[in-house]
Amino acid sequence: MATPASCLGRRRLLAGAAGAALVSAAARAANPSDRTPPWRIAFANINETQGVRIEGLGFTGLDVRKSFELAARTLPVNIIYYDNAGDEQTAVSNAADAISQKVDLLIEYNGETGANPEIARKAAAAGIPVLAIGYPVGNAPVYSADNHEAGRIAGHALGAFTKQSWPDETPLAVVLGDIGDPSDAVTERIKGILDGVHAELPGVEPTMLDSGGQPQRGDDLLTKYMRQQPRRKVLIATLDDATALWARNAIELAVRINDCVIVSQGLDRTVHGGAHEKKEIDPTNRASVVLGSVAYFMDRYGYDVLPLAMRMLKGESVPAHSYTQHVLVTGGNVFREYPPIDMN
Amino acid sequence: MKLKKLATQAAVAAIVVMGASGTALAQADCKALIQPSPFGPDDQTGASNRITPPVTKAAAAEIKTGEVVSMSNVLVDGIPLFGTRFSKDILTAVGLVPGAEFGKNQATYMEDTWLSQSHVGTHFDGLGHIGIKDCYYNQTPMGKFVTQNGLKRLGLEHLNTFATRGVIIDMVRVFKEAGKLKKNPNCKADCIDGGTVFSAADIQAGLKMYNVTLREGDVVFLHTGYEDLFLQYPAMNAVYNASEPGIGMEAAKWLADQKVVAIGYDTFALEVWPSEDPTQGIPVHVFLIANNGIHIIENVRTDLIAAAAAKDGRATFFLNMTVPKAVGFTGNFVNIEAVR
Repeated sequence: MATPASCLGRRRLLAGAAGAALVSAAARAANPSDRTPPWRIAFANINETQGVRIEGLGFTGLDVRKSFELAARTLPVNIIYYDNAGDEQTAVSNAADAISQKVDLLIEYNGETGANPEIARKAAAAGIPVLAIGYPVGNAPVYSADNHEAGRIAGHALGAFTKQSWPDETPLAVVLGDIGDPSDAVTERIKGILDGVHAELPGVEPTMLDSGGQPQRGDDLLTKYMRQQPRRKVLIATLDDATALWARNAIELAVRINDCVIVSQGLDRTVHGGAHEKKEIDPTNRASVVLGSVAYFMDRYGYDVLPLAMRMLKGESVPAHSYTQHVLVTGGNVFREYPPIDMN
Repeated sequence: MKLKKLATQAAVAAIVVMGASGTALAQADCKALIQPSPFGPDDQTGASNRITPPVTKAAAAEIKTGEVVSMSNVLVDGIPLFGTRFSKDILTAVGLVPGAEFGKNQATYMEDTWLSQSHVGTHFDGLGHIGIKDCYYNQTPMGKFVTQNGLKRLGLEHLNTFATRGVIIDMVRVFKEAGKLKKNPNCKADCIDGGTVFSAADIQAGLKMYNVTLREGDVVFLHTGYEDLFLQYPAMNAVYNASEPGIGMEAAKWLADQKVVAIGYDTFALEVWPSEDPTQGIPVHVFLIANNGIHIIENVRTDLIAAAAAKDGRATFFLNMTVPKAVGFTGNFVNIEAVR
C-alpha cells in the first residue's frame, strides 16, 4: 500500500479521475454477462476476533463486517462471510471454500500477504473475479485507505493551527504512537504526517515517541517530554485515537492545555458519538486539546466496496486502486460526517 | 489557550448575532432546499389539510363495535429517552394540608407542574421539528421565527383535527410470512431487528394482508414489534435507542404519494437506523416533515391494535388522537386510541 508523495493532490475514491488506470472486470470474470442478481459474493474479512484492532487504528474487523451487512441491505446481493482471523492458512482455506461454492465474486481482505498470490491463482483458475481490500491480491482491483494522505492531512492541520493560533511561535512537534509498527500503513502514515508538517512549518522536525503499541504509555512518554520542554508549544500527531486520549490526559495533568494541540488518526467510535453522548470530538467540546482526528471510515467500508463490486459484476471497469476519502473531523464537522439520530 | 479563547469568542458572536436580529439566522436559500407546500405558500397546516369533514365522516364508519384500543405508552420515569431529554411531574399538594381546605364542604385540590421536553414518550412531530439548515416546511426561513419561548410559525396550533381513519400495518406478520423475520434477541415477543429496511413492497404486502387500500387523509401505523424493548424499560433502554427497523426513502416516497397525513410507529424515529446512507442525517424525517408536511408519531404502542386486527381481520379504525393547541411547539406528547 505504499503511496508515493507525488500523489498528494489526487482526488480519491470513485472519482473516476481522468488518467486513472482502469481495470476491466469483464476481463477477469469468466462470463460476467451470464451473472444475474441477486449476486453471491464472498467476503473474507481480515480478522473478526473480538477486541483485536486492525490497521494500527481503533477499528475492529467486526466494524468492517457490520458495514458490509448494513450496506448490503438495499443491494441485490447475498454475502457469504468468512473470517480470515489474521491467519494465512485460514485465509487460503476460506478462499478455497468460497471458490467451491461458485460465488460470483470474492472480496478479499487479508493482511497475511503471503497467502494472497495463492488466493489469486485459485480464483483465477475458477474464473471468479476478486476485489482486494487493503492488500493486493494478484492483479485484482484494490480498495484501501490512503495512509500517506491521511497522515499529510494531520500534519497540515497541525501546521495550519500553529499559523492561526500561535503565529509568533516556533513550536515543537512529536509523533506519538506505535512508531515501531513495521506495517506499510503505519510507515506511510508517519511519512505523511512529516510531509504535512514540513510543508506548513519547514523548520519544525517532529520527534518520534514510540509507545510500543500500548496507548497508555503515550501518557508517560508525553509527560516526560513536556517536562523537558517547559515553555514551548507542542504539536502532537498521534497514530490512533486511544493514544490521543492518553495524550490528552497527560496534557491536562501537566496543566499544559494552553501549550498543546493533538491531531489523531482514525476517528473511531471512542472519540465521537451521538448528539447526546459526551465524547472528545463533539460540537459542544470545540475547545478540546484534541483538535480532531483524520477519518478512515473503516466502519463504512462496505458502503464504498460493495458499489465497486456491483460494477465489476455488471462487467464495468473499475479503477485499479480506489482510496478512502479521508477528512479531518473536528468538533465543527463531526455531526456532518457522522450524522447522529438521537435528536429525532 | 487560544483554542478556548476562540471557542468563547465564537459562542459570544453567535449569541450576539441571534440576539441582534432574528433575520440574521436566515442565511439559506429555502426555495432551493425545501419543496413548496401543495397547500399554498402561506400554509402552516401541512398534511392535516387533508382531514376534511367528508374524510372524518367516512372514518366514522370504521366504528363498528365501539371497542377502544389504546395506542399510547405510559409517560413515566425510566422509559427510553435520549441523553438530556426528560419529563418530570412535580406535584403541588398543599391543598391537603390541614386547614387549607376550601369552604364548609372542605374541598381540596392538587395539580401538577410538568417539566418536560416535548418529544418524549408517545409523541407527535410537528412541522417546526425538522428542516434543512434554517429552512423548514413550506420553505419557511425559520431563523426569522425562532424565539426563546417557541416558534412564531409552524407551531402545533395551526394543525387541523386528526379525526380520521387509522390503518395498522403488521410488519412483523409481513416479515414472518415472507420467511425473512430476523428477530432482535432481546425481544420477548416477535420483533424485527434494528437496521432492517422496509420497502414499499413490504408495506404493500402488509396492506394486502388485510385488503386495505390507503386513502387520502389516512394515518398509517406500522407495527414492528420493537416496542417490546420499550416495554422492558429501563432494562432495555440502551438497546431500544441503539438502532431500529424502519422505512427507507423508497417506502417514504410511496407513502407520501398515497397522501397520508401522518405515520406512526413503535420505534423511536420511524426511519431505519443505521440509515441506508450513513452520510445523511435523518433523511426520512426531512422528506416527510419538511418537504411534505407529513407528521411522524413515535413510540406508539402498536401491539394491541395489531393483535385486534389479527383477531377479526380488520386493520382500519377511527383514530382518536388530540394534538394540543400548544402555541409555538415543535411537537408534543399525545394520547392515541383506535376506536373500532
